[in-house]
Amino acid sequence: MNQLFRFGSILTVICLVATLVLAVTYEITKPKIEQYEKQEEERALLAIMPQADSFVKKSLDGIDYFESLRGNELIGYCVRVLGSGYSGYIRIIAGVDLNGVIQGVQILEHTETPGLGSRISEVRPGEKEPWFTAQFKGKQGKTVTLKRDIDAITGATISSRAVTDAVRNAVNDFLAKVNR
Amino acid sequence: MKLLGEFVKGLWRENPTFRIVLGLCPTLAVSTSVSNGFGMGIAATFVLIGSNIFISLIRSIVPEKVRIPCFIVVIATFVTIADLFMKAYTPLLSRSLGMFVPLIVVNCIVLGRAEVFSSKEPPLKSILDALGMGVGFTWALVLISTIREALGNGTVMGFPLARTFQPALFMILAPGALLTIGLLIGMFNYFAARRR
Repeated sequence: MNQLFRFGSILTVICLVATLVLAVTYEITKPKIEQYEKQEEERALLAIMPQADSFVKKSLDGIDYFESLRGNELIGYCVRVLGSGYSGYIRIIAGVDLNGVIQGVQILEHTETPGLGSRISEVRPGEKEPWFTAQFKGKQGKTVTLKRDIDAITGATISSRAVTDAVRNAVNDFLAKVNR
Repeated sequence: MKLLGEFVKGLWRENPTFRIVLGLCPTLAVSTSVSNGFGMGIAATFVLIGSNIFISLIRSIVPEKVRIPCFIVVIATFVTIADLFMKAYTPLLSRSLGMFVPLIVVNCIVLGRAEVFSSKEPPLKSILDALGMGVGFTWALVLISTIREALGNGTVMGFPLARTFQPALFMILAPGALLTIGLLIGMFNYFAARRR
């Protein structure tokens, strides 16, 4: 009993110290990480719609999106998408024009298996953008489907499907709300 | 001299992949391309050094019967801190190494070294042990991934080889990894046995 108590308290102390250290580290690094994520999002928006010159962040029924403007003219929307991948969430931004045709898909963050699922953002040597997400360009966002419109990555069907389904569902949800 | 021995043993005599055969799960998953193999090796080395230092420092206060939960808490904490700092201050490095982090927390080499070595030895020796193991793991990963990338994808480090054969896709899938690792271990055992 005595021993149980002693071991328990040592383990508790170690866990408490670990939690404290983690909490402090999290607070210190949080603003930096958020700032970088914001920059990265801006870069992704520009890569999706280079012809737009401003992006206005809006929110509709819990969906975060950006209106892409050229001058004062609305040319499309960029929607934040969260896909469920093989080993965690995949954070994506998808851009569509006013007819729902995909202008570009950018993957911001994922935790897919290196070498298999991670190829959703693989750039082949000599190319400028990831080949997997480049396939989405020009496809109809409401109906885009793996295998019919998009070639899956060998050995990573789950990750490929996660991205495709997430983009299609997000575009459908968003367009249904925005055109209401 | 004796300190150097702690480093050298990880390179060959107690190589984590080929001799102790630990950490095969990340090895199978990651050795699909040379850059992935190298990245995983470097990230694992970094974590090994950190966890070995910490565990060596607290080794006298950890009771033997609850050592495994203590080690896991320390390792997971260290890995998370490293991950957060990388994300905040070296975002580009974090993008290329970050995806290995969840694989490293469960890498049995890290827990293995804590159990076998750093829970019994002083910090300096533990650092050398971690360095040796990390470098040993890295070269093993690079060797395996070079073979797999060349045969399975027809490239090395992403650059295409001369197209004299059709790359066999299965080499970059899981069965190719098992085959490569098995044949390599067999080959090394054969040479080690002959030398004796």
